[in-house]
Amino acid sequence: MTTVTTDMPDTTETSPAAAREANERRRALMLLSPGLLWMILFMVLPMLMVIYVSFWTQTTFAVNDTLTTASWERFLSSATYLGAIGTTLRIWAIVLVATLVVGYPVALFIGLFVKNQTVQTALLVACVIPFWTSFLIRVIAWRPMLGTEGAINTILMNLGLINEPLTFLLFSEFSVLVGMTQIYCVFMVGPITFMISRIDESTIEAARDLGASFGTIFRRIVLPLSMPGVIVGAIFVSVMVLGEFATAASLSGRKVNLLGNIIVSQVGSLKWAFAAVAGVVLTIIITAVITLALRVVDLRKEM
Amino acid sequence: MLNLSGVTRRYGETVALEDLNLIVPDDTYMSLLGASGAGKTTLLRLIAGFEEPNAGQISLNGERLDGKAPHRRDIGFVFQNFALFPHLTVQENVEFGLKYRETGACADPKELTERAADALQLVGLDGFGHRGVGEISGGQKQRVALARTLVTEPRIVLLDEPLGALDANLRNRMCDELRAIRERLRVSFLHVTGSETEALTMGDTVAVLSDGRIVQADGSTELFTRPHNPAAARHLNAWNLLEGTAWAGALDTSAGMLPLSRPLAEGAAAQIALRFDQLGVSDLDAVPGGRSHFTARYVTGEFNGPTALSFFRAPDGALIQVVDHLGDPRLPELTEGRSYALHYAPGDALLFEGAST
Repeated sequence: MTTVTTDMPDTTETSPAAAREANERRRALMLLSPGLLWMILFMVLPMLMVIYVSFWTQTTFAVNDTLTTASWERFLSSATYLGAIGTTLRIWAIVLVATLVVGYPVALFIGLFVKNQTVQTALLVACVIPFWTSFLIRVIAWRPMLGTEGAINTILMNLGLINEPLTFLLFSEFSVLVGMTQIYCVFMVGPITFMISRIDESTIEAARDLGASFGTIFRRIVLPLSMPGVIVGAIFVSVMVLGEFATAASLSGRKVNLLGNIIVSQVGSLKWAFAAVAGVVLTIIITAVITLALRVVDLRKEM
Repeated sequence: MLNLSGVTRRYGETVALEDLNLIVPDDTYMSLLGASGAGKTTLLRLIAGFEEPNAGQISLNGERLDGKAPHRRDIGFVFQNFALFPHLTVQENVEFGLKYRETGACADPKELTERAADALQLVGLDGFGHRGVGEISGGQKQRVALARTLVTEPRIVLLDEPLGALDANLRNRMCDELRAIRERLRVSFLHVTGSETEALTMGDTVAVLSDGRIVQADGSTELFTRPHNPAAARHLNAWNLLEGTAWAGALDTSAGMLPLSRPLAEGAAAQIALRFDQLGVSDLDAVPGGRSHFTARYVTGEFNGPTALSFFRAPDGALIQVVDHLGDPRLPELTEGRSYALHYAPGDALLFEGAST
């Protein structure tokens, strides 16, 4: 064979398509890098550090980097700390259900029955009004509400429904549950409203035209289509409730000890290794909960 | 028989339908022709029960429908955007009505599968049952929507621009299939469309909706050849309308004095309608005997395949259209900008009394 010339470009040179692809990959990397860098510096590295510190040796007033499993053994063999895990999980489960029970009807109302977009937005904004003030104020505001001489007890006594104030209202697990449900409800309402308002009005009309009553339409159309919203809301609420300590500290009168409270008190007394153990346990629990939630609904398919 | 009498629907100040009367007989394919915004969809939504009329009555076989909840009306509605349930498969979509209807739900899984399969076969979607609704094409979605409605055996089927989202090829095929399906089921279809060709092709009867009223409901040929009023004629997109006032036994129109087919009072307003394909064109001095004519300037032509459309302007600027059939041409060679005589047989012209609105 002698010289055969073709119109094909020289293979050593990159083709325009490949150049374009490389270009796009570079742009994607550029968009990604600030976030990635931030995550590595301020999340991945500290996480690894926490795991590392949890194996350090803790003496009364100091830690040194001799590796030991002593903190882990102490944590896992202590009834108090295992009990804290139980309390955290129980409160998480109750608050999750409570935010769903309170939040879903609100979301259903805003997303399905309010047709006007402006009103929809206004109502959602109204839901976050409590967030215009500080977290601490929001939590502490429950005290004059629930206390023995608080609003609820006064009203009930004046109505003659009770003779002496109800004491379980404040500084109990009950007050923690009430406080947390109120604070985190909006994180449930938002995502569910978003999913419900995305349901095409005509699919609901079509179901109605096919003879389904409102209850059936809710069960078969609205509920399944809003599930991704429920899952996203549940993840928001779970992550925040599981890591909570402030509500429990100020509303339970130190009767309710969550994992978060343990971390705070251990860090306060400079027990770094021990706090790290609790931190790792908490992270494992949160990861497990999120994994579980994502198993229920394939978010990638739905969003 | 579906009977609407005196139906009125207002949105605040806007009147969508006003004192509308319409009868849809049993076992008929009726098309409802109207411009966009004429209230076609509103009319269907009133029949289906998604909205209620402000006044008037809707009844089906003597039983009053208005005021009844939509899921108790037993009426099929095929949505323009199909409105399939996105989280269900094709099979589950079709089964929905059977399985979850409030009364007479079918609980037997074997019967459900069979009836859904029958419905899918009816619309030509054998073996598509397991697919997700996101995995099928527009035409197939249309068929699923139809199957989903038909499987519940509604007393009447309302189709809201059912072919609007399909491409031209598919549209023609679906036209034939819709008619065939209806003939097999012997249930009335009320098909809403904005296209006069679609309305005339599909409907045994065509009703024209204009300004919130039914201006005429007739067989397609009857409607096309003899519209009863200017509004109906305008919607057919096949008639030139020339308005004017009666004067000395003729109508003084923008195109000149045209003879009247029947005497009118002096000074009365009227319109003459001339069908696109019944106008002939000749040089000014060569008008064939026995035909009325007027003068207009040739503007331009439009070639549409089997037919060609020529546009003329009357002296005052009114647009006149003439259709010529390629296989049987009537028009001479035309030069743009020149004036010609447009002539017609006096018997072909329709006369509508009253001013245009």
